[in-house]
Amino acid sequence: MKRYSQYSVEVSDFSDVPFWKKASFMDLVYVSYGIFIVILVIGSYIVGAFDLLPYDPHEINLELLMAPPQSSGHFLGTDFMGRDILSRLIIGIQAYFLPGLLAIAIAIILGTCFGVLAGYWGSGFDTIITYINNLLNSFPRLVLILLMVAAFKPDIYYIMVIVGITNVPVVASLIKGKIQFLKQKYFIEAATALGLKNRVIIFKHILWHNCRSILIIQATLGMAEAILMETSLSYLGFGVQEPTPSWGNMVQAGANYLMQGKFWPSTAPALAILFTIMGFHLLGDGLNNMLERRRNK
Amino acid sequence: MKLSSIRPVAFLISKELVIAALLLLGVSFVIFIILFLSPGDPFGVMLKGQMISGSAKAGVREALSMSSAWYSQYLSWLVNMLHGDFGTSTRTGLPVLSEVIRVGINTLYLTIGSMLVTLFLAVPIAIFSARRGMTVFNWTSTIFTYVVSALPVFWLGYIVIYISIHQFGLFPLAFGSGSQKIDWLNFMLPVFVLGIGNGTISEVVRYLREEMERVFSEDYIRTARAKGASIWKHSFKEGFLIPITEIVASKIPFILGGAVVVEQVFNWPGMGRMAWQAAQDRDYPLIMGITLLAAIIVRLGSLIQRVVHIMVNPRASQE
Repeated sequence: MKRYSQYSVEVSDFSDVPFWKKASFMDLVYVSYGIFIVILVIGSYIVGAFDLLPYDPHEINLELLMAPPQSSGHFLGTDFMGRDILSRLIIGIQAYFLPGLLAIAIAIILGTCFGVLAGYWGSGFDTIITYINNLLNSFPRLVLILLMVAAFKPDIYYIMVIVGITNVPVVASLIKGKIQFLKQKYFIEAATALGLKNRVIIFKHILWHNCRSILIIQATLGMAEAILMETSLSYLGFGVQEPTPSWGNMVQAGANYLMQGKFWPSTAPALAILFTIMGFHLLGDGLNNMLERRRNK
Repeated sequence: MKLSSIRPVAFLISKELVIAALLLLGVSFVIFIILFLSPGDPFGVMLKGQMISGSAKAGVREALSMSSAWYSQYLSWLVNMLHGDFGTSTRTGLPVLSEVIRVGINTLYLTIGSMLVTLFLAVPIAIFSARRGMTVFNWTSTIFTYVVSALPVFWLGYIVIYISIHQFGLFPLAFGSGSQKIDWLNFMLPVFVLGIGNGTISEVVRYLREEMERVFSEDYIRTARAKGASIWKHSFKEGFLIPITEIVASKIPFILGGAVVVEQVFNWPGMGRMAWQAAQDRDYPLIMGITLLAAIIVRLGSLIQRVVHIMVNPRASQE
């Protein structure tokens, strides 16, 4: 996930003007493209889950091997076993959708806990959590996943747990910075003086009212991360295995035919990866510019 | 640098060294725990296919003075490593340390080269858009960085191989094979592919631009501008040197991860390819050594970043 710089936000900066009216045009474009991609992904997931596909993604058609796009009813053509590429693309979303949500949930929940511990209760916890963060940052993620694959088994859920855990430091340090900043503010002091419980201050005043947007942004970026990891691992042969389609192993299988000039079996999933990841990145960056930067001009 | 300020800097650097050593200790512990929890512990692999009964296994353990308690296993493993004994690969039977260092050099070439490619692309875009604001050129280049950051790197690699074979008749698939004539091509193509496709360009541009914009609006830059002094000279340390070392140090793990994939595409004889092979074979000693070396590289990178930070700004690090 990405590290964003923290911008100081004064309470007086919060105004009644809705944030999308203050946003710049390009940020609106970024965010609407991102939301479009999110809707497309969720829509395709539902289509795949309810089996509304144009063709059966597992149906092998030996008379139509490597059919080019737009031919004989196959919109994106067929692959080396005559299976419809469009259907496989749609069903391929299932390879990362739920595992990705798992990775996000782990990153957000653990990261928030760590961030609150380090930011709210301070020095002792802070030292320990900084150490854990640096420790997790020392592993190149793909190498750590290869270690896990060697030790246990190549299962997408194991892999996504690792992706989630390695994303914890980013969320934790963002939440920590935010809390350390907020703690100097009068409204937290006032809440403490009024005798509110720590639980209420943390969950309501800090997390809900002030860290919501950070967490949403990190969740979008986490999804991009999960897709990229799934595709890389499927390419390396440790992710989703062949009869089950995933974008990564589709690119990998199609790449063998690239040298013969038959580019569509690998290009279609590669472009799907490209546009989806770009959508999640733009959504995260656009939301960050809109919600977190709030620069006074 | 004033004489009085030297001692704190030396002290801070030695503190960073201690922290790095502690972190590497933690890394080795995490690696050990993962392999200890796995079905078939690190030492069971040695006995695989040789002993059948549990008592025989225990006998071998005892003969190798390998106690079964986890902490003494960890300690003996750690002491062996500190003596430079990382064990031998279960597949090839070669000592792990020399193997990993041999291929690690190739990976270092690849990662450092691709980092330079990334910076050559990202820095001008960041500087232009921080200085001139968002012109048409800057929008196009920003969108370009987003597109290349989202490209799956292995597909980019295949496309590059396809083009180089069909357009130029070259086969960039055998780095280090000995034929000097086309070795530069075998070297350059993977470096370029990883540099463009490692997914960090958009982030480097973003971070550098934000930091530069922030520094350009500081009071001392305004003073420098009013005096007619060079803005670049004044903003270089805070606006360029510190952010760039920070972002590069924090991206080393990603680039090493990308190297695993690119080495696979281009048959690059590096650490990532060896890690892939080791994961296929469940070659525990080898993958342990590779993970440790990768962590050492990451720690070394952030150590350099900290040292640069302390040298540039000793005051900020003294809290």
